Amino acid sequence: MDQRQPEYLTPALMAGAVAGILSGIPFVNCLCCLWIIGGGAVAAHLLAQRTGGPLTGGDGAIVGALTGIVAAVVEALVGIPLRAFNREFVQRLMERMGQFADDMPAGWESWLDQGPGASVGLFLLGLFLSAAIFAALGALGGIIGASFSRRRSAPPPPPAAG
Amino acid sequence: MTRITSPAPPAPGPSRTVRSVLAFSVIGALVWILSIFLAPMLAARGSSGAAALIYGLFSPTCHQMPERCFTVDGHPLAVCGRCLGVYSGFLAGLLAYPAVRGMRALRLPSARAFILFSLPIAVDGAAGVLGLWKSPIGARFATGFAWGTILPFYFVTGIADLVLSRKNGTRRGPPFGPKEGIESGEAKGIE
Repeated sequence: MDQRQPEYLTPALMAGAVAGILSGIPFVNCLCCLWIIGGGAVAAHLLAQRTGGPLTGGDGAIVGALTGIVAAVVEALVGIPLRAFNREFVQRLMERMGQFADDMPAGWESWLDQGPGASVGLFLLGLFLSAAIFAALGALGGIIGASFSRRRSAPPPPPAAG
Repeated sequence: MTRITSPAPPAPGPSRTVRSVLAFSVIGALVWILSIFLAPMLAARGSSGAAALIYGLFSPTCHQMPERCFTVDGHPLAVCGRCLGVYSGFLAGLLAYPAVRGMRALRLPSARAFILFSLPIAVDGAAGVLGLWKSPIGARFATGFAWGTILPFYFVTGIADLVLSRKNGTRRGPPFGPKEGIESGEAKGIE
């Protein structure tokens, strides 16, 4: 049994960056959580290629969860400049928020105009929640990717006697 | 005088760990799905701040297009019909896990099973993106549900493997197939 810990970070950074960008681009993000699950699967595949050996389900979960966290950060960063172009989303959000206008705190309209940078606390809270959700979705993708990478690789050597 | 030492207790098998991971996953999935329904219910009852918070919580994972969402009390759910199907299927898969897989072995589904369960959502999703047809919400829910049912068989197995490896301080063997499973159980279920 292989006791070495594979190097998770590089595949997670690569796959997480791509998944985060695709999740943050308007219209491309219509595939919902599939980008994150797919990113986790790709990260596991990259990890399997780098290690050249079989991955366990736990390996896939770790690299997938890291991928999800990276994707959440990248998506948040991508969302800042793209927010101005994402008129459809902003329009929908405005309409939805408008339904609750009577119950919202004074000056809530300005939140959308100013973007997440206006409230660092709100931005960080959203980032934290996204990271937690994306980590779970990424872990799922990583486990799936690990299973497929395992099937393509050579069978493991028999355990040493004694 | 001979000192009699009792043998070291055997390391806990995957059964207890799988049960724990399964329980946490069921609770998490239930809270997740209830939150999806809670958002429109809160909105309908005037608790708009809380409703907006829940809608915002789900926005990173779903496009939330109202025309693709089921509605409750005239308000759209917090996720689209396909996402609701995936999450509902995930919960159904979790509940079916003990009967299908058992608790003793950590084995992942076969690639054939994954492809089979993924085919409907892949075909329907691709056709929608390419503009070949526009599925009703019910069909979106159904394809998402089918895909969601296979996912817990990966999630629970992988997380249980991770927990076991951390407990034992080792990397466990890859749990793929009955011959390579961590603890071989009777081969049954999704293969």
